Amino acid sequence: MYDFNYHKPDTVADAVALFNAAEDAMYLAGGHTLIPAMKQRLRAPTDLIDLSAIQSLGEIQAKDGSLLIGSTVTHSQVAESEVVSAEAPVLAALASGIGDRQVRNRGTIGGSVANSDPAADYPAAVLGLGASIVTDRREIAADDFFQDMFETALADGELITAIRFPTTASAAYAKFPNPASRYATVGVLVAKTAGGVRVAITGAAASVFRATEMEQVLNDNFSVEALAEVRLASDDMNADIHAGAEYRAHLCGVMAARAVASI
Amino acid sequence: MELTQRLEIPVSNQVVWDALNDPLILMQCLPGCQRFEATAENCFEMTVQAKVGPVKAVFKGEVMLTEMDPPRAYRISGQGQGGVAGFAKGGAQVSLVPAGTVAQPATLMTYVVIATVGGKLAQVGGRLINGAARKIAKQFFTEFVRIVCKQEAMDVVIETIQGEG
Repeated sequence: MYDFNYHKPDTVADAVALFNAAEDAMYLAGGHTLIPAMKQRLRAPTDLIDLSAIQSLGEIQAKDGSLLIGSTVTHSQVAESEVVSAEAPVLAALASGIGDRQVRNRGTIGGSVANSDPAADYPAAVLGLGASIVTDRREIAADDFFQDMFETALADGELITAIRFPTTASAAYAKFPNPASRYATVGVLVAKTAGGVRVAITGAAASVFRATEMEQVLNDNFSVEALAEVRLASDDMNADIHAGAEYRAHLCGVMAARAVASI
Repeated sequence: MELTQRLEIPVSNQVVWDALNDPLILMQCLPGCQRFEATAENCFEMTVQAKVGPVKAVFKGEVMLTEMDPPRAYRISGQGQGGVAGFAKGGAQVSLVPAGTVAQPATLMTYVVIATVGGKLAQVGGRLINGAARKIAKQFFTEFVRIVCKQEAMDVVIETIQGEG
């Protein structure tokens, strides 16, 4: 075991101050990506700042037509929340399909969004529903947040405090999970929003992205048949031992159709 | 993994070739490169801090330029040891074809990127190697074009010809 400093602040301000004072700090939420990386010595921060004692980060609130989910709320809390089921049921359904029970009991929404794994489920909901990411210093629209593989608009030391979702009943998420990890081989979230239809795809490319071709045809005719005309290009799709680029491009259409059919 | 991409650079073949052989430019293009020093002709030592998602490791290794065919083609290859993280090996076969006119020179650059990793990196990051290699190639060649064109915020369009593996 190598040494690192462990901190457990109880306010956001203290957490950020500790981060800034340390040489190479990491915030610790559920730890489901960070701890395995540390065990493998693929990451060796000098300071770990545990966020679990900051009460305000663990709350779920519905107010002013939006649903505010604190960054350390776990996947199982989202899946089981009555407030979430009433205000944005798609989120509860999505959270209940992440990983396995152990992952859902520890993993957090803020950790998932900050890490922005190319195959994570939450980024599809954040981008597809047009949510915004609330941090200790500003609020970032989802369209500006996800930039590239593991790359977000977060500055060094910037801490996500909550995700603000619009309340909606007209949205669905369909994914083709990897049978072992339950990561999305391809996951598609389709939502009817005030600004038109939004389609966000995770797992298929370096980062979650909006399928604008699909959005256009669905705005004219919201049906599975209309969607059948769209074929996504496989040029920038991921290819690995589980699925090739062509296959992933095809799955995007299949999963989008399933999501549309269930709205 | 293997990735073939192509892009057009609005400067002459010779300018691109000279830049491809300039260690200072290569160092600036490689994300996280902290040291890039010549040790012999077409041989360099480097230190790179790689950060991809949860992984952050310092790689020490060497870069070699081989199969020199000035000003048309070469192979740049590098390998590094990241301590307990494992090792990474990667490179690109680069070829240049003049594409413009005398008044408006341009160069069509095609490159084939190959990358492999071993050790713990391969165990935990297997599903991410392709994406990481693509991302590094994109960063490298985008920065390269911006430097040779002396335009910091230039939009660089890269066309993927083949990318499987």
